[in-house]
Amino acid sequence: MAYAYLFKYIIIGDTGVGKSCLLLQFTDKRFQPVHDLTIGVEFGARMITIDGKQIKLQIWDTAGQEAFRSITRSYYRGAAGALLVYDITRRDTFNHLTTWLEDARQHSNSNMVIMLIGNKSDLESRREVKKEEGEAFAREHGLVFMETSAKTAANVEEAFINTAKEIYEKIQEGVFDINNEANGIKIGPQHSTAAGAGGAGGAGAGGAAGGGCC
Amino acid sequence: MFRSRSWFGGGWGRPKNPHSLERLKYLHNILCKNTTVSESNRGTLVESLRCIAEILIWGDQNDSSVFDFFLEKNMLSYFLKIMRQKCGGSSFVCVQLLQTLNILFENIRNETSLYYLLSNNHVNSIIVHKFDFSDEEVMAYYISFLKTLSFKLNSHTIHFFYNEHTKDFPLYTEAIKFFNHSESMVRIAVRTLTLNVYRVQDASMLRFIRDRTAAPYFSNLVWFIGKHILELDACVRNDSDHQSQQKLDDLVAEHLDHLHYINDILCLNIPDLNDVLTEHLLHKLLVPLYIYSLMPASIHRSAQPSPYSNRDGMSMEAVTRNLEAILKGKSREMSPSRMTFSRQRMESEDESKPYVSCVVSLFLLSQVFLIITHGPIVHALAWIILQSDSSVFEDGATKILEMYISNAKSNVKLEFSKPQLSLEKALECTSGQERDYTTPEYSGPKTFGYDTDQSSCDLDPELVSNSLPSTSHISESSSVAHDSTEDLVTQIEISKSASAALGKQNMPDSPLPDSGIESGSSKSGQEFNNITDEEKQKMLGVTPSSPALTPASIKMLLDKENKEIEKRPFLKTILDSLDCRENDYKALFALCLLFALINNKGVNTELLDTLLCPEQSENSNVTAGSTESAPSSEGSEQEGATATPSKKPIQSYNALLISKLTAIASLSCRSGEPRVRLVTLELSVTLAGIAMRGSSGAAGARHVAAVDGLRSRAAALARNFYKCDDIFLDMFEDEYCEMSKRPLNVEWLCMDAAILLPPTRTPMSGIAFAKRLPSGEMERARRAIRTFFLIRDLYLKLTGKPETQLPLANPAPFVQVGDVLDLNDSDLISCDIIQKDGTWHHRFLAVDNIQIILVEPDKQRLGWGVAKLVGSLQDLEIQGDKEDPRCLHLTIHKPRVGASGALPRTVLLRAKFKFDDHIRSMAAKQRLTKGRTKSRQKKMQQIGRLLEVSGMTSGPPSLAPRHRPLFTRPGITTVRRHTGVDGDDMDRRLRRPSGHMLKDGVVVYRERTTSRESSISRGSSGHPSRDGSPRARSEDIPLEDIRRNAVAAAAAAATAALQTQPSTSSQPQKAPTGSSEETSFISGEPRVKRKGIVETI
Repeated sequence: MAYAYLFKYIIIGDTGVGKSCLLLQFTDKRFQPVHDLTIGVEFGARMITIDGKQIKLQIWDTAGQEAFRSITRSYYRGAAGALLVYDITRRDTFNHLTTWLEDARQHSNSNMVIMLIGNKSDLESRREVKKEEGEAFAREHGLVFMETSAKTAANVEEAFINTAKEIYEKIQEGVFDINNEANGIKIGPQHSTAAGAGGAGGAGAGGAAGGGCC
Repeated sequence: MFRSRSWFGGGWGRPKNPHSLERLKYLHNILCKNTTVSESNRGTLVESLRCIAEILIWGDQNDSSVFDFFLEKNMLSYFLKIMRQKCGGSSFVCVQLLQTLNILFENIRNETSLYYLLSNNHVNSIIVHKFDFSDEEVMAYYISFLKTLSFKLNSHTIHFFYNEHTKDFPLYTEAIKFFNHSESMVRIAVRTLTLNVYRVQDASMLRFIRDRTAAPYFSNLVWFIGKHILELDACVRNDSDHQSQQKLDDLVAEHLDHLHYINDILCLNIPDLNDVLTEHLLHKLLVPLYIYSLMPASIHRSAQPSPYSNRDGMSMEAVTRNLEAILKGKSREMSPSRMTFSRQRMESEDESKPYVSCVVSLFLLSQVFLIITHGPIVHALAWIILQSDSSVFEDGATKILEMYISNAKSNVKLEFSKPQLSLEKALECTSGQERDYTTPEYSGPKTFGYDTDQSSCDLDPELVSNSLPSTSHISESSSVAHDSTEDLVTQIEISKSASAALGKQNMPDSPLPDSGIESGSSKSGQEFNNITDEEKQKMLGVTPSSPALTPASIKMLLDKENKEIEKRPFLKTILDSLDCRENDYKALFALCLLFALINNKGVNTELLDTLLCPEQSENSNVTAGSTESAPSSEGSEQEGATATPSKKPIQSYNALLISKLTAIASLSCRSGEPRVRLVTLELSVTLAGIAMRGSSGAAGARHVAAVDGLRSRAAALARNFYKCDDIFLDMFEDEYCEMSKRPLNVEWLCMDAAILLPPTRTPMSGIAFAKRLPSGEMERARRAIRTFFLIRDLYLKLTGKPETQLPLANPAPFVQVGDVLDLNDSDLISCDIIQKDGTWHHRFLAVDNIQIILVEPDKQRLGWGVAKLVGSLQDLEIQGDKEDPRCLHLTIHKPRVGASGALPRTVLLRAKFKFDDHIRSMAAKQRLTKGRTKSRQKKMQQIGRLLEVSGMTSGPPSLAPRHRPLFTRPGITTVRRHTGVDGDDMDRRLRRPSGHMLKDGVVVYRERTTSRESSISRGSSGHPSRDGSPRARSEDIPLEDIRRNAVAAAAAAATAALQTQPSTSSQPQKAPTGSSEETSFISGEPRVKRKGIVETI
């Protein structure tokens, strides 16, 4: 339970790009990628370690809420990090990135760390968006880029953790006002309690790196 | 975790296939054996739960027997059992359980599976279970679970959650308890859920929502919005030093979130719900807090003994208490008699009636009008602001709500056409009674297990306990609610149809009949005067040239409007706020509000005529209006106006508004310490444009004259900074770019919390230039230039004249990259261009009178060259090399092109130019420097003409610069290699083998490069012959035309030049008028040969 910081993430991108699967894959590794079974979830939390510090990531999927302007608005604002996901096998999801990014930039606080994710890298044969294109887009807009596969779990861990690292660095640099919870960052309870109820890594975070569970 | 796994693995013959019915049976067995959660088995349990979810989803997609088994064994009941245990580590298990359910509901695709899962009511039991919400993890998973469920709602599934018979809807009622949770994500989830619920089209459920929950929920919502606002206000009051901008940002964003949420609900268009919400918003927040704060400060003070300064330290508790008082105020007295209640309330709470500063109120109201478009709300609000009068305040101190009712009453009266006091009172009473349903206090049995002691519940405990829905109340109150809201709607309808009459309609209520009569009669007199004046003008066919005739009438008009406005305290506050003599702090918000009001689609246009329509609209019969106005204003005391409500001209404050707006503009044009920020000016100019649009004839002419006067004053202000130094031209063009690129966006402006703090000067505040006052001479110059642009723009719009002088005419880019030029007998300087990255090119440097051109010899024709890089001399930076006299360092910037000009400016080329010897280097430097100076001087002359700098009369502005280059061109002649086909630039360029030239050129012209790439394939397939022999045709085909064109153009230009000549001759630097003088620095003698000229476009 005890953590130094809590970072709130959101996952954005077109429907069907595998946002909720990425989320579940990261927060609960016990869901082994299996044939013809795609499981996702809209919320998850997990503990990671950066620089020897326990950091809890809380990830909120925003799927299905696009209809309400008030909802998307507030989601963006309350997050410290965002994973912007597209599907490498669907060109249109890549084309929509600009719109997503504009939205994110307009509503989020300026310090929000955005990571660009090209998901479904396991489906190489059906690839429509070249890796270089993703890289170029990321470079142009100042994002970190990575191709992942929620299916094979490739790079999933890295995507979330690298984003966290960048947020952490920004905290160290004093860019983020950590006392302002509206930024999507929370300072953990000071006491490093052993009676953390073993909830480290939260639900299904059994495999969480360094979680103080059990 | 590791332990649990190994334990698990060593277990009791676990089936190998993780996705099978056998496996589920096995897991069921585990659940049966571990009914009690303990330290030792919780790992097993968690893992089992997880696996169950996985198998179920697999089963949902592959094997229906899995679900059958799950239901047969009633496995959800195990979930419940586990959940209800309160032993060590239960939160750990609960979290997993909730996540399992999340996964389950998120991933189930089969409708029937979903129905099965929901059918036995276990899910509702889980929803109402009292988890340990103090654990943020549990809270987050719980609320996600509810939110996930809400996404599954539709007209079928709703019946699993909403029980029509028991009037039970735990999913919704449990969720809204957390609407004000401290975690933003939780709040957002609750909002999502509520919206998901509302949009399910189920009449019974919606009725339940409206009858049982709408009042308490909305009143709470509105209360917390109010709380936020008081916090915001405190923040603004205490932060004149811009210390807590971050906090202010959040509070403003929070308010916007609230408004967007409310707007999202309203946009779902559920009439019943919207009515309740409208009523709450207006009666509990917008009117008593926002509008009330618009009252003149003196009234606040009289009601509030403590001075402003004491309020600064007002604790949140006090603020909360105050608001609570407002929100609960009338419910304290449950008696149906509104009069009793209001009196009591007045006595007991007048002293602590909360309000926010005028600035905050204006700002917040702007946001309301920018976001919410729901007709009844915005229209009622606009009506209150524009039409309601102060009589109620003068009479009964500060009874805002009562005032609102009395307005409503006057509408009702209007409807029945019976202006009798007794009826009034009766209506008053009923309306008081009707509105009782809005009170959050219902005392009744706890239907939904609201647990007021629960610490995690973030509703105000008192309110929650009081707001429990009770069956007994509901049935009657709901019907009443309906009536009452209908009442509001009717009122709005009426005010729409007869808004003209309403202004007068209020007067009978005035406690000061004398003033009413007085102003009424004086008004009619003035109207007569005024009309005769205007009529006179019309008859005389008065045109803009004689606005001098009217000052008297304007003055009278203004006097009258000034007098009238005393009866419109809110509008008066807004218009008074426009006074920028001290600063423009308030004015900016007043402008925002007016802008938002005018542009809101929900506001009735007739109502807006109050501001936008000139006193005597041109289309109405003037004489009829005048004769009518006299009796009606006199008779208003007896409500005589009701007889002819539709014909009654609306009381307009148009002249007053315009005078205030022009005063702002005029203040902006004053030299000396600026007090008006650019954003304020831009807004007032925009509004002035809108307000003046309605007028025509004499009034229109007057406006044009006034704005023209402003324009010349703005020009005079900018003239102060007109210097012949380089920076002015750059600033001038930059400002123009900036202005045309970023037109004012009021919605964005009103998201910026920074403007809530008193205007500042220092750029170190991080506030954008337009939103603060200029700091230093440079910024004052920029401001003066921008002021000129803005006012000039208004002038042009008003007169309908097209913009011909801005952006400063860049002589059409004569030579373009890729052009093939005849350079025989031109001055060419050979040089090597060395870039920073070490790339090296050999080129010839040619200088046109506006351009620097780097060419490469044309391989196919001696004496001709291909332009590889073209930059404008104006945007050139020249530096000598300290070590090597043969070298020059040149930086060529991309020119600004209208709105597309890039800021910060992009560099086209930055390189070292190495010449053969120092003489050539010096020659090049001299030529470039001269060329630069000259081309900049030309632009400065254009500016000079714009700013009416003495000695620069405005010549034919569009002709001179445009044609000048045509025949002042020195020795360079271009031939565009197009084959007669009118292809676009890209195509032409493509056909020229542009070769390897200038890596930087390729880099800089990225878009061109790419298009070239793409078009090469196009070209090679489409015109295979062209690449093979690109020249052969291009030479002779265009030349004939070209010569003819050139001659014609030259002739035209010559006449144009003749016209320009006298105007520019007074300048020390001669304007380019003939072909001879300009070439002097290039070739020393005019080139007469003109092989061929192609018009660039």
